[in-house]
Parts: sequence; structure tokens; C-alpha cells
Amino acid sequence: MKAIEVEHLRRVFRTTIGVLRRTVKNVVAVDDISFDVAPGELFGLLGPNGAGKTTTVKMLTTLLIPTGGTARVLGEDVVQRADRLRGRIGFIFGGERGLYWRLNGYDNLRYFASLYHVEPETSKKRIPYLLELVGLTDRAKEKVDGYSRGMKQRLHIARTLLHDPEMLFLDEPTIGLDPVGARELRQVIRGLQAEKKTILLTTHYMFEADALCDRLGVINHGRIIALDTPAGLKRHVLDLSVVEIDVFGMPAEALGRVRALPFVDTVSVENVDQKQVLHVQTPQGSAAVPGLMETLSGLRLGKVVVREPTLEDAYVRLVGGEA
Amino acid sequence: MTLSAFRQDLRVLFLTFEITLKMIAVDSFVLFGILIQPLIIAVLAIWMLTPKDPTQAIFVVIGSGMTGLWSTLLFIGGNSITRERWTGTLESLVAQPTPLSYVIFGKNLASVLQSLLSMLASYALAALLFDLELRIVQPLPFAVSIVLTVFSFVCFGLILAPVFLLNPAVQQWQNAMEFPVYILAGFLFPIALLPGWTTPFSYLLAPYWAARALHATANGSATPQELALSWGMMALFGTLYLVFSRYLLRVILRKARADATLGLE
Repeated sequence: MKAIEVEHLRRVFRTTIGVLRRTVKNVVAVDDISFDVAPGELFGLLGPNGAGKTTTVKMLTTLLIPTGGTARVLGEDVVQRADRLRGRIGFIFGGERGLYWRLNGYDNLRYFASLYHVEPETSKKRIPYLLELVGLTDRAKEKVDGYSRGMKQRLHIARTLLHDPEMLFLDEPTIGLDPVGARELRQVIRGLQAEKKTILLTTHYMFEADALCDRLGVINHGRIIALDTPAGLKRHVLDLSVVEIDVFGMPAEALGRVRALPFVDTVSVENVDQKQVLHVQTPQGSAAVPGLMETLSGLRLGKVVVREPTLEDAYVRLVGGEA
Repeated sequence: MTLSAFRQDLRVLFLTFEITLKMIAVDSFVLFGILIQPLIIAVLAIWMLTPKDPTQAIFVVIGSGMTGLWSTLLFIGGNSITRERWTGTLESLVAQPTPLSYVIFGKNLASVLQSLLSMLASYALAALLFDLELRIVQPLPFAVSIVLTVFSFVCFGLILAPVFLLNPAVQQWQNAMEFPVYILAGFLFPIALLPGWTTPFSYLLAPYWAARALHATANGSATPQELALSWGMMALFGTLYLVFSRYLLRVILRKARADATLGLE
């Protein structure tokens, strides 16, 4: 039996625009996606903001009813058998909310343990163990209100492990964390992976997906556009090289000129401090540099690097430079 | 439901009660509703009523205490689900195996029991500041009336919370619902002073039967028939609210999952 089986899943949000003359608008957040996850697998859902990752996770964790299609988690239908499923899964949504800030960390865990029907004798042992696991033992008796974002996120991890769930949904768990906090959290996830927990992780950090996931689904505009192992996804860009150019002030029309070049496959722009880093994917490698320089002439340029493509480049190519 | 699951759900109810007490003990809005507002009402009522008849003092104390009880239920109990939504904990509460009704019951129980302090505060004010003689003539029936009052109020809160979550337009009328219940339930003066056509509305309110039982047992006018009627109505309304709330919660949570309104994002 698969841990997750998703078939033609679809979710449409209905919104209204205007006050006097209200018009109804349907927004398709998840559009006919299908995938499955094996027991013990760490499956990643990659996609830009608004791609449909969180909506998918909310449907799989019983918090949102799909508009169409079916989804089964641990053999239970997420709509019809939601009550039976809830005690067997755990989830984290990125961000600081979802905890009782006026209570201390220990009381938060004690309360959530009871909600998940963990026996008091078990929680007395499990809570200190989890606090130790996420490095919050010394701060457990302090109000959550005073916790940093990273500490709240780690408390979320402890919360979701209280009932020792068979399956975990981690929706952008490292978002907003400092590099050290994010690395510690990834170590915790690796530990859970070693315990053979089935995990569905959403992220838009490529190195995180590359380092952790057994398999990845790339989702964009609500549709899964690629489904493969990290190595398999990298093969999408084996025929390409990446030219990185530092630009100090990148006008939109110059970007359009670069995109229109016949030897350019995909372009994305990353803002780094005062500059923009142009990532140009091209089959020509260093031979593309003179043409690019000519197109960008008149702009203030910094260093130019030609390198081999990474998983991130494969992702950028798949989502068409929207990342 | 198995006995073991029921025991675990009850544990959640009592832990919710404990946790809620901890949280509202430091909430200044709650303290205003429990202590300050009932005291203001008590002072005004004592000035208006007791010069004519000092025996009205206990009526004033109980009545102003009940205003605190109702205001707390309306604002704290009524908002118990909505507040979870604001703080982002509603999704965590829905996606766990304990039925949400146990959580709301525990939260309302904490709010209502804590709001009984408003009755104690009014009692202390009348006794110490105004030097009025206060005596509960039928203490045991009074205690039973308090227990049933708490039960019926807590169950009433189970209806208010999902209705407010479902319909924000109703919630906008929350302030307007405070004083009419003070009046219709006869907290501070008998409903006999109101026009006759309002009486059926009073009879439909569990707070009316609570006020009737508490006032009567305090001044010693409660006959066995009177007690049977008031207690019976409180038990009946409480049970009806409890049964209906289970259906209401199920419908509303399904609607919230369909409309994607469990979270704020």
C-alpha cells in the first residue's frame, strides 16, 4: 500500500470582486494533479509561491476539501475518513502562528499531547525527549511569546512529533529561519528520515530539496510539471550551461532583450544586495558570453561566471524562470 | 465511541479548562468583563434600588454578577473558535482526533467559572463599601442553581461560538446582544416590569431561568415547584444546546473546510 495516493486532485477557490456589482471569480489553485508516495519515502513538492503546494498539503491533512479527484493517506480517504486519519499524521505549516503564545513551551506540548490522546505517563517521558531533540529544554518554562521565530518553528516540530505520527507533512518548515536554525532543522528531518517516517516536504530551497528528498514533484500553476529523483531532474539541464552576470540596475526592457536572444533557453533574476544576478541558461556555454555582453551594453556590469547547471537550474527551466 | 476514547476526550476537556484559565487570568479585557463592568453596574444599581428597599441588596449583587457571567460568555465564549482562527491554532485543533466540542466546552467552562468572580466581587462591594446585610436564605438550592447556571451557560456558548464563526455579520451585533439579555433575563429587575409581549422571549433564554432560580433561592421565595421549573428549564435548555451544538459544529467545520476559512491566509 502507498503512503499517499493522489489522483486527479483539484481545488478551486471562489472569490468575489467589487462591492455593488459583485463578480465571482474562480481561481484554480490545484489543477488535476496525480502522484504517489511510498512508505518511508521523503517526497518533496517544489514550486514558486502560489504554485499550489500549501493547498495540496492542506487537502492531504484533511483541512481543506478538494473540489475534485481523490486523495488517500495511509489508506484513508482524506474526506470520507478524515476522523480516522487525523491521529496518524502530523503537520507543520511554515511560520510562527499555531501555538499558544501566552503559555510556555512545555504547556503547549502538554496540551497538544492530550489533544492527540497521548497518555499522561507517555507525555511525561516524550515531552522532555522532544524538547531535547529540538534544543528547547532550557527555555521550556518560558512563554512562547518571548521565543524567536526559529524557536517557535522548533516547538512546532516537537508538537507534531508528540503522538509519534506515521506520516509527516512539513510545509516550508525552514522558511524565515536563520542559516544555523535551518541547518539544525534539516538535521532533525534527516533523523526522522532515518526512523523511516514517511515525509512530504514542500520547499522552494533547491539545496534543501536536493539534500533531503528521495523524489521530487515540481508544481507550477497548480499542475505537476515534473516528477523524478533529484538526479533525474538535473538531467533536464545536462545539455545546458549557466552564465551568471552581475548587473547593477537591471531595466525590464534589457531583460526582455536577453530573453529574446535565440541562444538563450531560460533567464531568471536574483536580487543580491544592490545588484541583480542574471542566471542565463544556454546550450552555448561560454560562447554565449560575447552576445550577452553586447545585449547588456550600456549597463553597469560586474563579474561573469560560466558554470555547470544544478538542481535549481533544472527547477528554473521547468517553471520558466518564475522562481 | 469507546470508553477509553471518551476518557481521553474528557481529559482534553479538563486540560483545556486549565490552560484557558491560565491564559485568561492575564487578559485585561476579560478582567474588565469579570470585575470592572459588573462592579460599575452594581454601584449604579445599589444607588438606585437600596435606598427604597435595603433588602434588594442581594438581588443587586446576584444580578450584577450575572451581567458579568453573560458578558463573559458572549464575548469570550462566543469568540472561542474565532479567536483560535485569529491566532492560527484552529487548524491544529481541527486536524486532531479530539472532537472540537470538548475543546470549546472546556474553554467555556473556564470562562464561566472565572466569571463567577464577578458575583463575589459585587458581594464584597455591597458588604464592605455599602455596609449592606447580605444573606442567601436557601444556600443549598442556591448552590444547585449555580451549578445548573454554569451548565446552561456553558452549553449556550457552544451554540454562540460556531454561529459567530459562520457568520461574521452576526458577530457585528455582539455588543448589541449584551444589554437586551440583561433586561430580558431579569438580571437587575423582574421581567414583570416589562411589556407582556416580551415575556415569551425571556422564557426562551436559559439565563432567564438561571436568574429566576438564583434570585428566588437567595431571597428565600423559592418553592419546590418553582425550583423544579427553573432547574428543569435550565437542564432542558442546556441539553438542547449541547445536542444541537454537535450538529452545528459538524456542519460548520465541514463548511469551513470546503470554503477554506479555517485559517486566515
